[in-house]
Amino acid sequence: MKERIYTMGVDVGGSYVKAVLLSYDHENGQHTLIDKQTEKIRKRNPKDVVVEAVDMILERQKLNYDKDISYLASTGEGEMVEKKTGHFYSMTSHAKGGIFFSPTAKTVVDLGGLYVRAIKVDSRGKVIDYKMTGQCASGSGQFIENISRYLGLAIEEVGDISLKSENPEVPSGICAVLAETDVINLVSKGISTPNIVKGINLSIAQRVVKLLGSLGAESPIALVGGMGMNKGMVQAIEELAADNKKKSFEFLAHPDSIYSGALGAAIWGGYRYFKLKEKQPELVNA
Amino acid sequence: MNNLAEIIAACKDLAFDLDFKRAKQWKEEKANRVVVGYLPIYFPREVIHAVGGLPVAIFGGGDRKQIIKGDAYYQSYICHIPRSVIELVLDKHTAHFDGYIFPSICDVIRNLSGIFKQQNIGKFVKYMDFPQNFLPQVGGVFLQQEMQHVVDYITEISGEKLTTEKLNHSISLYNTNRRLIEFIYDIREKYPWRLSIEDVYHIIRAGTVIPVEEHNEILEKVCAFIDQEIGKPQDKIKVVISGAFCEQPAIGLIRAIEEAGCYVVDDDYQLGSRMIIGDIDDKTDNPLEALSNAYIKQSQYSSSIYDISNPKEYRLAKIVEKRKADGVIFASASFCDPSLLDAPIFQNAFDRMGIRYIAFQYSENINQFKVIKEQVGAFSDSIKLWEDEPMTVND
Repeated sequence: MKERIYTMGVDVGGSYVKAVLLSYDHENGQHTLIDKQTEKIRKRNPKDVVVEAVDMILERQKLNYDKDISYLASTGEGEMVEKKTGHFYSMTSHAKGGIFFSPTAKTVVDLGGLYVRAIKVDSRGKVIDYKMTGQCASGSGQFIENISRYLGLAIEEVGDISLKSENPEVPSGICAVLAETDVINLVSKGISTPNIVKGINLSIAQRVVKLLGSLGAESPIALVGGMGMNKGMVQAIEELAADNKKKSFEFLAHPDSIYSGALGAAIWGGYRYFKLKEKQPELVNA
Repeated sequence: MNNLAEIIAACKDLAFDLDFKRAKQWKEEKANRVVVGYLPIYFPREVIHAVGGLPVAIFGGGDRKQIIKGDAYYQSYICHIPRSVIELVLDKHTAHFDGYIFPSICDVIRNLSGIFKQQNIGKFVKYMDFPQNFLPQVGGVFLQQEMQHVVDYITEISGEKLTTEKLNHSISLYNTNRRLIEFIYDIREKYPWRLSIEDVYHIIRAGTVIPVEEHNEILEKVCAFIDQEIGKPQDKIKVVISGAFCEQPAIGLIRAIEEAGCYVVDDDYQLGSRMIIGDIDDKTDNPLEALSNAYIKQSQYSSSIYDISNPKEYRLAKIVEKRKADGVIFASASFCDPSLLDAPIFQNAFDRMGIRYIAFQYSENINQFKVIKEQVGAFSDSIKLWEDEPMTVND
């Protein structure tokens, strides 16, 4: 049996495709993140974007899909990944990815493009319980993206600009449509961009903190997903959680948190590879 | 139709043709031909075929027909299929049908037959009672009488008399049909990646609206294609779906289940086409008796069959075992009494037997499947990653 294998994870979200290449040493159980790629979907066919992201990694690492990749795992909109070996539900993947970034975490919060999900996990990354926001767009990364576009900001700038805020203005925390109208009003009132952005972050953070309360979350809490890279969002969550008299939470963020889904899928892919190798060898690649 | 993709595309068109154009064309090809619509679950189509009729399944409008008039006939707490059937009929989609058969499933379908009678729809309307007594000399005889009623209705229109030879021939054609369908399921048990459950659904449903001879030709070709190694296997769990025997889910739901990480290796979609297990005697002097014996002794497990000496939960468990499935998905139509009443019985039994399952409800016109996909995805992961551990509430 091969001691070291390569697995790939591809997370197809509402706005981005995230792909990672992982190596797994079966002897010591060590996973290493080798390469990663994020591609914005824009108005392209997500299937093409997936192929592009996977090929970019393979080319950079001089690897061949059929010969070198033992398991390609999809998560999110998995049907967009035609070459996959298997698919994992996004909550399963984010839970595992969160534990990979923050091994001591007892709760993982996936701050995704379309919703926020708080997941209680055990030390192996198994989902114990979860709560998530509803289907409306508020409290989501897509909402932040829209706002940054209205304000003429690049999405990468949003976190740092939020940190400069001194007197944040919180818009409607209920509805993305109304909040966007609020933002236009705030701009016309002359509120500074950092104060508007921080206000937006706080409105989303309110939902996250409520979610943690209703889940009965345990600390430490890993913040993953695209919004987990937004320093302003992390700060807003920390501030609001600190006001919570009932419980104090420690939050763990990671600069690569956008890859948590893809990473979790790739890790589970490695686990399945060795299981299938025994039971159904025809299913695995290399 | 030279390749599998073309066959599937043709079946897709036939399966969801709400105007039943092939049946209309068939009727116009020759005088005195009779088109008979039947509702789920099961009707022995052989008897219609033997007297020059074309049996056509009516599965409702699914998510392709807006319901306006249908809602006026049924309360809000009744399942969806009777509304869409009424809507189809009142909008003249079935204007070329001569008669309608309503096999006994539940009160709602019984009432639907009454509405058809009140509205004078078709030349005949038959509420087809199936025996609950499984003794051939009691329930069997009763079923033969019920089938004879249908034959009489059709003969009156077509003028074609039932003979032993004709019925044996029809039985033989449907035996072939059932064998070919079973072959597809047997292939999918071992190689489910060769043909998706969505494609299987289209292929089988197409057969319920065209002559059996044409469907057998299609099935022969499909079987030849999938008997070869095609497609790429994926790491998915194998599941059996139960509860969808009458009101069919939108095709998107069927697709969503496989996309969420499952291979469906058996199901009760369009159960009527697979109701009889194995061949029916087609060389007999009394083919009506052979048909009734088949129902009594060889019928598939179904929520609408109450055979006290052969409990349903064990029949379903046997299917799970035969197909080597990892679990069961109870997918019931909202407000479907037979299915929803069965669910707790199955669940209690499966808890005892250690068979993993999840349950959800759908309606034929619902085409948002995100929540169902999440539930099925979590179920699939719980088996792939934690199969050695007992299921928790949230699995």
